[in-house]
Amino acid sequence: MRTILNNRIFFWLLLSVPAALATAGWWSGRIDTMDMLHPTGEWSARFMILAMMIGPAIDVFGSRGWLRWCLARRRYLGLAAFFYAVLHLVFYVVDMGDLPSILSELPIASIWTGWLALILMVPLAMTSNDRSMQILKAGWKRLQRLVYPAAILTLLHWIWVHDGMGGALVHFIPLFLLVLARIVKSIGTKNKEYENA
Amino acid sequence: MRNISILTLAAATAIATMSASPASATGKVKCEAGPQSGWKTRDALETKLKKQGWEVRKSKVDGGCYEVYGKTPEGMKVEAYFHPVTFEKLYVGRRGKELFRKKGY
Repeated sequence: MRTILNNRIFFWLLLSVPAALATAGWWSGRIDTMDMLHPTGEWSARFMILAMMIGPAIDVFGSRGWLRWCLARRRYLGLAAFFYAVLHLVFYVVDMGDLPSILSELPIASIWTGWLALILMVPLAMTSNDRSMQILKAGWKRLQRLVYPAAILTLLHWIWVHDGMGGALVHFIPLFLLVLARIVKSIGTKNKEYENA
Repeated sequence: MRNISILTLAAATAIATMSASPASATGKVKCEAGPQSGWKTRDALETKLKKQGWEVRKSKVDGGCYEVYGKTPEGMKVEAYFHPVTFEKLYVGRRGKELFRKKGY
């Protein structure tokens, strides 16, 4: 059981389940193209948020076994977020049907925030491999911080395109609180350093 | 550590509050049009819109109004609300951007 759980291919399969189920439903005609936008976008955001929560969680709660397990798979979560965003775009393009319609929606705030979020995710996904880490060295971490503006754009895209803020906030609040807790903790640690000095 | 407990509690409360709100009514537009027996049918609305040059993809009841997903005669993909008795246009939104809202709604 443990070996299956820890198997990377199993983890990949797990991440692809929501896409497989939704696409199968669409293929069979049960799910309309326009109704594919919500699940693909939501899963993209979910994986992005999960990937982003791991770092702050380790800083706040300390390096525990299950968090290290997550950390070892953070790259896959990030890549899954990107692939789901691409799938989200594919269904958007299919639903819109032609380029003039797509361009006509570009000036709408809810739409260009989505495009921009996806564009920011391209360099993140392209450098999510060991080789890029070796080549970019310290610059890799700086580059990966692009995930923060990408997440903010994703949140805005979600709030503006969808009915109400509920769904978007339910997803983003845990991440926001963890990042906040990390900041609070780092300030606390600094103060202690001053007292000890 | 106490800070974190408070934060966790706040998160749980926030999530619980928001999941409690009903997902069926979006609250975008509300119609008080009386009992459904007095409404005209959704099919009739779709037929009327198609005659006007709309493309209707989907329609349903939301907030006591008829909600239609489709394309306007100008070719814009929109979400529109209509009064179920008068078929009056109440709201038109495009990708979350409000294009039209009838006064009082």
